Amino acid sequence: MTTKHEFFVDMTCEGCSGAVTRVLNKLGGVQFDIDLPNKKVFIESEKDTDVLLETLKKTGKEANYIGPK
Amino acid sequence: LSSISLGVNGMTCGSCVQSIEQRIGSLPGVIHIQVSLELKNASIIYDNSHHTPQSLAEAIEDMGFDSIISD
Ligand SMILES: [Cu+2]
Ligand SMILES: [Cu+2]
Repeated sequence: MTTKHEFFVDMTCEGCSGAVTRVLNKLGGVQFDIDLPNKKVFIESEKDTDVLLETLKKTGKEANYIGPK
Repeated sequence: LSSISLGVNGMTCGSCVQSIEQRIGSLPGVIHIQVSLELKNASIIYDNSHHTPQSLAEAIEDMGFDSIISD
């Protein structure tokens, strides 16, 4: 069973969203959508939200967990 | 101390540059880092008891950018 989670990630351009895409692909076991203009990342995964948040923070951008979607 | 220039792909603007400089620059054993968007590289001065070119390239890859050891 997977839940969809909403995260804020302070992305400003395609480079940022590209970095987010790559760290999430590297993590694996996730399905995600990136909304660059609104600085949101929607992730569907069985993984813990802490793990997902730490992964997003690897990009060096500010990231916060907003909640389940 | 050693210095290396690593190729970095995937950066598109100043905020990409800044996030790499901040995150890699704050790793223990990294003395100085300068990232260039135009040249697509990162010049790093580091303590070689902490890092190797490979470990630095991996740290950049870990952030979601491509890093190439060119030199
Ligand atoms: Cu960006
Ligand atoms: Cu950028």
